[in-house]
Amino acid sequence: MTTTTTEIVRPHTGKGPSRKRAGTWATLKAFVRMEFIEEISYPLTFAFTLLRSIMPLLLSFFIGQLIRDARVGGDYLTYVTIGLGVTAMLQGALVGFGGILQQAFMRGNLETYLVEPVPWTALPVAMNTWALLFGLFQGAALMVLGVALGANIDYASILPFVALILLGLIATTAIGILSASVLMLTLKSQPILVVYGLAASLLAGSVFSVSQLPIWLRVFSFVIPHTYVINGSRSLLMADPGSFEMSFGTAALVLTIFSVIAMPIGLWLFRRSLEFARKMGMLSGY
Amino acid sequence: MRGMGDTDLEPAVTSNSEPSIVVDHVGKTYYPSPKWMRALVATQIREPVIALDDINLSVNPGEIVAVVGPNGAGKTTTFRILVGLTTPTEGRAIVMGYDATRQSPSVRSLVGWMPGDDRSLLMRLNCAENLRFHGRLQGMRPKAIERQVKHTLELVGLGHAANKSIFALSAGMRARMQLARALLHEPPVLILDEPTGAVDPVAAHQLLNLIIKIVEERKIAALLSSHRLEEIEALHSRMILLDRGTIRYDGDLQTMRNRLDRPCVEITFGTDDAAHRAAKVLDTANAGIASVNVEDETVRCILEHGTRQGVVLAELEHMVADIVTVDEVKRPLRELLAEIYGATTVRSEEDIRRERREERRREREGRELQDSGRPRSRR
Repeated sequence: MTTTTTEIVRPHTGKGPSRKRAGTWATLKAFVRMEFIEEISYPLTFAFTLLRSIMPLLLSFFIGQLIRDARVGGDYLTYVTIGLGVTAMLQGALVGFGGILQQAFMRGNLETYLVEPVPWTALPVAMNTWALLFGLFQGAALMVLGVALGANIDYASILPFVALILLGLIATTAIGILSASVLMLTLKSQPILVVYGLAASLLAGSVFSVSQLPIWLRVFSFVIPHTYVINGSRSLLMADPGSFEMSFGTAALVLTIFSVIAMPIGLWLFRRSLEFARKMGMLSGY
Repeated sequence: MRGMGDTDLEPAVTSNSEPSIVVDHVGKTYYPSPKWMRALVATQIREPVIALDDINLSVNPGEIVAVVGPNGAGKTTTFRILVGLTTPTEGRAIVMGYDATRQSPSVRSLVGWMPGDDRSLLMRLNCAENLRFHGRLQGMRPKAIERQVKHTLELVGLGHAANKSIFALSAGMRARMQLARALLHEPPVLILDEPTGAVDPVAAHQLLNLIIKIVEERKIAALLSSHRLEEIEALHSRMILLDRGTIRYDGDLQTMRNRLDRPCVEITFGTDDAAHRAAKVLDTANAGIASVNVEDETVRCILEHGTRQGVVLAELEHMVADIVTVDEVKRPLRELLAEIYGATTVRSEEDIRRERREERRREREGRELQDSGRPRSRR
């Protein structure tokens, strides 16, 4: 009753509309546009997300008024503006991909993305880009607000600061992709990022100096990319970054090494997780 | 970093023969999650589940093949293997000469896929943006995207809804939108997983006609699944019956009917009582009558192959005066399929009797309740 056919047709001759294999750049642009449209279709959420990101700075501003005489190197407002601004910039890169992936799982869009002829290794980067850009925007807005409130930023080192942020974004994106690799198998991985986010806010010294941590805890600070980006940025943008000074060179070197190691591992692991989920038939489940 | 999903090898086999889709001895077994993984997420199955067992099929350009089967038959698994969303444990699936597992990106650019539910559409985006997003990921050039978006929306009858968000579309329009997405890059192969599943019969009919027209015009090889048997009949195409991972039949519907269908005679009597008496007679007769069903005053006989209708009438010789009409009826497709699957998807006579008894009991109880609550003066 069955038809057994071993003859195979010749490959497709390329009929149809003009096209070539979509590369990472085209994939990235497609996702950024799609996410942007989605974002602005919820204007209230968009506004509140921005508002939420600046609230910690306002809180720190008033705490700074209260402890006016406490020294953290330079003034506390500048200190905390850089700490919170940089953290906000990295946050999108850290949690963006995991969040969008989980959303795609729940909405049922993930399979639609996976049946497109884009390299699966390009997906994590492409799906993360909007969140990364939005995080950058939030961090920049927060820093502008800090300056408006009286923070003293040294603009002479703005270019090395941008370079440090870029390295930090690559490193935190790698962590986000590693976490998303777990999500492919567990179908939920946000708790991992929440724990990491809390650890980063505690250990990286966004609102207080790492030197205030006990030595045994300080050890963990050195394995978190956030520590290098935040404290390296303070060294660049503050005249007196305080007792936990980190040179741009050290921060950039560590972040480069971290990115070179973590990014390929993250992409490889994501691929492996995807292949495993594909084999197990888990891509449609949630 | 190139893995299985990213490889872009030369086509597995090249020859000048015709099938666009070839499923060659494909098997798929879903295994429980490995033990190490159960610490991360509970396994959904405890024992291996064989979803497909040595499946062979092929689809030629310009041909629609309908895959029919109950839930769990393996339809969606077959389709998912073809679009690269899962891998076969045995055999191989070939699309336009490319191996669906090893050359997945090439296959994905040649297949238009319409999944079974409309959740795959981007709900906050409008129709045109949904298609643009798909076009970009398909590597289409900007001008080609704009041209194709307009053309494809017109083709599926959604030209007027280009700027409507998916949320605002009816189920039928969403189905058309999904079809538009599958067609945008003009693929030579269409995989349509229950394309009419969520739409009303009229919209389903229109959608199916549209699919037939496009497949014919563009010489597309289309694999389609559906639960609606009347649609399968309307397609007049090849049909594959899947059952628990195996192919039970592969061929056209008429051939299946000729092979499996048996003559069916419906005799209507003047009264229920006469019908029941006739059924009893026919039940005990040994004259090539395969089965007898009675419903109200109608008796329905399915005859063995080669049995003449006259045999039935001869058995009822003494009741001829009670007969009102005698008709030869075409058996519904669902009955034939139920026979093939050996399932009782069609209600048996006993089921019908039981339901009717239950109905009468409820009516009686209702009447009694009404009577007991009615004031005496009104009686």
